Parts: sequence; structure tokens; C-alpha cells
Amino acid sequence: MEKKLVPIITVPEVATVTDIREEIAEVRTFYFTFDRPEIEQAFKIRSGQFIMCTVFGAGEFAVSLPFSPENDRKHISVRKVGRVTSALHELQPGDRIGIRGPFGNGFPFEEIKGKNLVYVAGGIGLIPLRSSIIHVLQHRSDFGRLILVYGARTSRDLMYKDSIREWQATRDFETYFTIDRPEPGWNGQVGFVNQLVAGLSLPAENTVAFVCGPPVMFNAVIRELKLKGIKEQNIYSTLERHMKCGLGKCQHCAIGRTLVCVDGPVYTYKQIRTLGEQI
Amino acid sequence: MYWLSGDKVSLLVDRLAEDYAVYGPRRDEVSGEVIFDRLNLLSRLDLQAAIPYNPPKYVLFPQYEEIIKYLYERQSRKVTIEKIDKLQPKALIGLRACDLTGILCLDRFFLGQEFVDEVYLEHRQKLFLISNTCVRPFPQCFCVCTDSGPAAREGFDLDLTFTGQGYLVLVGSRKGQRLVEEIGLQEAGPEAMARRKKIIDESVSSFDNFALENKAWISRATNRLTTGFIKPEVWEYIGNQCFECGACSFVCPTCSCFNVEDVNRMGGATDRVRTWDSCSFEGYTKMAGDHNPRKPVEDRRNKRFFCKLSYSQSKKYLRPGCVGCGRCARVCPGDIGLPNVVTYIRREITGE
Repeated sequence: MEKKLVPIITVPEVATVTDIREEIAEVRTFYFTFDRPEIEQAFKIRSGQFIMCTVFGAGEFAVSLPFSPENDRKHISVRKVGRVTSALHELQPGDRIGIRGPFGNGFPFEEIKGKNLVYVAGGIGLIPLRSSIIHVLQHRSDFGRLILVYGARTSRDLMYKDSIREWQATRDFETYFTIDRPEPGWNGQVGFVNQLVAGLSLPAENTVAFVCGPPVMFNAVIRELKLKGIKEQNIYSTLERHMKCGLGKCQHCAIGRTLVCVDGPVYTYKQIRTLGEQI
Repeated sequence: MYWLSGDKVSLLVDRLAEDYAVYGPRRDEVSGEVIFDRLNLLSRLDLQAAIPYNPPKYVLFPQYEEIIKYLYERQSRKVTIEKIDKLQPKALIGLRACDLTGILCLDRFFLGQEFVDEVYLEHRQKLFLISNTCVRPFPQCFCVCTDSGPAAREGFDLDLTFTGQGYLVLVGSRKGQRLVEEIGLQEAGPEAMARRKKIIDESVSSFDNFALENKAWISRATNRLTTGFIKPEVWEYIGNQCFECGACSFVCPTCSCFNVEDVNRMGGATDRVRTWDSCSFEGYTKMAGDHNPRKPVEDRRNKRFFCKLSYSQSKKYLRPGCVGCGRCARVCPGDIGLPNVVTYIRREITGE
């Protein structure tokens, strides 16, 4: 029987950074394993959840999980953006980090079985979607068409190039890439992801979209998806907020009447629209 | 119901002090303010004093609190993490009904949601609560509007009601029952319940007009807040008066937002501390990289009133988040304590 998923609530579990990978400028992937074998065994996640990661001596930050619940190395991909993530980027393999979680709701795979799935990501917005894409690939026959639309400022800002190459090698996975401005050697599209979405032919009835990226891109993509007739409750996104506890107690991540840490981070656009706050 | 004569109060307190750290209202010698404080001198307990300027929430949810301590040795890459033990039994005596209701709200919020807050739980265990009926309301009070006073109905181990000569003692738990038996209190007689009720009724009828008039308006305001029918101009008017000082949150018996920081000590150890926070602060929602989804002050300000009065928030507390203690109105350097906000919403409705 599968062990019950019990989140680590108050005291972080110590983990070792086993490997560090440069992804794109300022973004690194940190592979980790828990020091206690029983935790390494019992730590199970759902796609779309997040953890609170402690950089000892610097503090804690919330970060989405890019790895799949099944047969995938545990890792986080983090952009160096504030004080704590800068301290994380100083770490070397062998250094220790602390982990609490996993927290949050995750993607609703049961509800979307049999549907066409469109993943739309901008820049590092692919990080929280990666886990879900891998899950779907592992259960490919449960779903209809599988499409990834991915855009970044330049070709050097596209995340997870190796993973994407692997995905492209699998059957029935359509990919579309775009960068903001032309570059020598770039054969793909040039422009914004919303333009690519506009060009897709999708049956509105049976399609679910996952959108993650900067707010401007998010809003532009939503507009296109709605023009295609995709229902607001079939558009999912995962939101970010300043978080301190992950448990629904500190209240920093409140949006409207919900808390991103327990009611999210995965929301439908229908929910987002009624929350009455900026994304 | 039992009877505690005035001269026996010290007997009760002394007995509690054997097992608990005792907290209660006392008058500060310098400022003259009533504070709810740890009573190092038990004789300083003043059960007749006015509502304390600070709520007792800090006993369960301290303003600055270390939750874990860790040491990371960079060379050997060894981590030691220590959880900080807080299991000191505490007795809170002379709680006003509003403040006891505040503790019940915190209980439901910290313990009754999806996750149990382990830090709060440790404080909450081994707590002895003695409430004290407000035989007359204080000028700032409006607990009659928020169904949280002037007398406690639940959640206490013992409840005191002053009659002029002594206290009627209502027992609320087995722990409370044991204590009254230990100190040998006598039964208060068959008409004690009626006597307590009469005292409470007299107290209710002497509330200030602002409280009595607002009674119905608080539920109207709740309705408006929940359904989002309050005009942006009203929030702007309210927001313009906010100094973003956070005082309302800090004196509120139910405000429980906190921040978490890792504080490095000399010698290399780090304390993870949680500190009170307030949704009125600009940095409250600011993320790394300086993106702040909530910017204008009115956008932050209405969060607090939403938290205190909306139905969706009430689900977490199983009652309104406001307990009618009036402290926010007393400390606000603007004029946006909760009763006034209700008045502004009322003016919007009636067009006064």
C-alpha cells in the first residue's frame, strides 16, 4: 500500500543538494535527496503542489515542484531574484537545505481525463507545468491531444531544453515555440505566445488549458483561449504569492476569500476572475 | 454555580499560581493604563479594572516568538535543528468576554482548519481560562453588536460575575470543577442563575448609544462586505485615513497574521522567529523582485474589514471575526476603527 502523504509542517526536514544544473541565465535546478531514508521514501507529491525551502542562515521561500510524482528525481528550479534565492544560488553540491511540505491542491487529473490538453507557458512559467506534462506523458492514453506552446524572450531563455527534446521524441506531443525577436539560427516562430495560441485549431468543447507565465502574457493568452470558446472553468493556472507558512495560517497569500497555499496554487480562470484581485 | 467572596479571590489565585503562570489585568503604576500582563505579584490582579488596552492573545500567540533554532556548520555541512518547547501551563484570569471570544476565534482558526498550527497548539494546551463578566460596559465597547459579551457563554474553565460583595462562579469544565472543590467554594444557591442573568441584562441595557444603534447595522455591513456591494469611493475614503501603522491589527483579539524570519545570532546559530504582521503594511504582499499585487492603501485596508466581518471569513471562526472590544477605534490615528467603518458603510446605504 502507498504510504500516506503527510506534509512536513513545522520543522524542516534536512535534504542534501546532490547536483546543480545551470538552466538559463539566473535560473538553476537543484536536485536533492532527504537525509533520512524514511522521509525520502514517504515524501510523495501531487503535480502542481509546492514546498517551502529553507536556505540555512538566509530564510525560507515557497517554490513550485517541477518533478513528477512518479519516477523522477526530486528537484526545484529557482530564479535568483531575492535575498533567499540568491543565497540558494551560492550553494554547492553536498550543501544541505530544509524542506517543508508538500502543500497546496495540485492539478485535477481525474477531472480532465480524456480531454485535449494545451499547456501554454512563458519564460520560467514552464517550471510549475513540467510536473503535470510528465504525468500526462506517463499516462498518455488517458488524454486526447497534447500540445505545448512555449515562448520566451530569447532562445537562451527557454527552460528545460533536454526535457523538451525527450518529450518531442514521444508519440503524439505537439510543440510550438516562439521567441520575442528574430535571432540568427532560430527557425521557429517569432512573436508572443498568445499569437501562437491564436493560430491553433482546437475543439473548444473538449479542451483544457494550463497557462503559466508573467501577468501580461497570462491575460493575453486568456483572451485568445476565450475567443476559441474554451470555458473559463477549463482554463487552469498556478498562482504565486508571498508566503510564510504554507499552512493557511500566516495569511500573506490571501487572494479574495481564498489562500493560495491551501485553496491553490492551482486555480481555474473562473475562480481567478471572481477573486477580485490582481494576479 | 458557586460563591466566591471578595476576600477569597486571593485563595483562588494562589492555588492557580502553584500550577500555572498567572496572567491577568493590572493597572500600570506609571501610565495608569490597565494591561493584561503576567502577574509576578499576584496581589496586583485587579478584577474591577477597565478592559485592558491589550488583548490576551499574545499569551498564545506572542508578538515575537522563536519557533525553531538551527545551526548549520558550513565546513562539515552538518545541520542541527531544535524545536522550541513552549509547554508552560498558563492561567488567564479576569478575561473579558470579548477577549475570551477572541481566543475561541484563534482556536478555531489555528486548530480547526486543514492544518493544525503546532506552535499555537503547544501554547493552547495546559491553559486555564477564567472569564469575568462586564457588569457595566466601557465607553469603547460594542460586544452586544457582535454577540460576544458582556458575559461569556462558552470556552471558560470558570466564569466570574461580580455582585457587589463577591463573585458568582460558573463552572465550565472538569478542570474548573476540580479547582472550586479544592479551594472549598460553597454552592451559590438556587437563585444564583437568575441573579447572574439580571446583572448581565442591566449591563446590556447600559451600553452606549453608538453600540445599540449599530447593532443591526453590523449585520447589514457584513452582508454588503460579503457580496462586494461597497463602492470603491467608500474604500478610498477609508483608505485615505489609514496611516498604515498596524496598530488596529496588533490590538485586535482575533488578528493573527504573522511573518516568519530567520535571524542569525552571534556564534552561527539561527532562530526562526514568527512576529505579528498586518495586512495594512505595504510589504505584506510584496514578493521577491518587488512585484506587489496589492498596491493602493485602500486595497490593503479593505482586507482587514473583510476579515473581520465577511461571511466567508466567519466560516473560519464560526462567528464574526470582530468581537466588539473597541480597541481598534481607540488606537487608530485616523478614524477607521471598526465601528466607524460600519458607520461609513451605513451612510452609503442610507445616503445620510
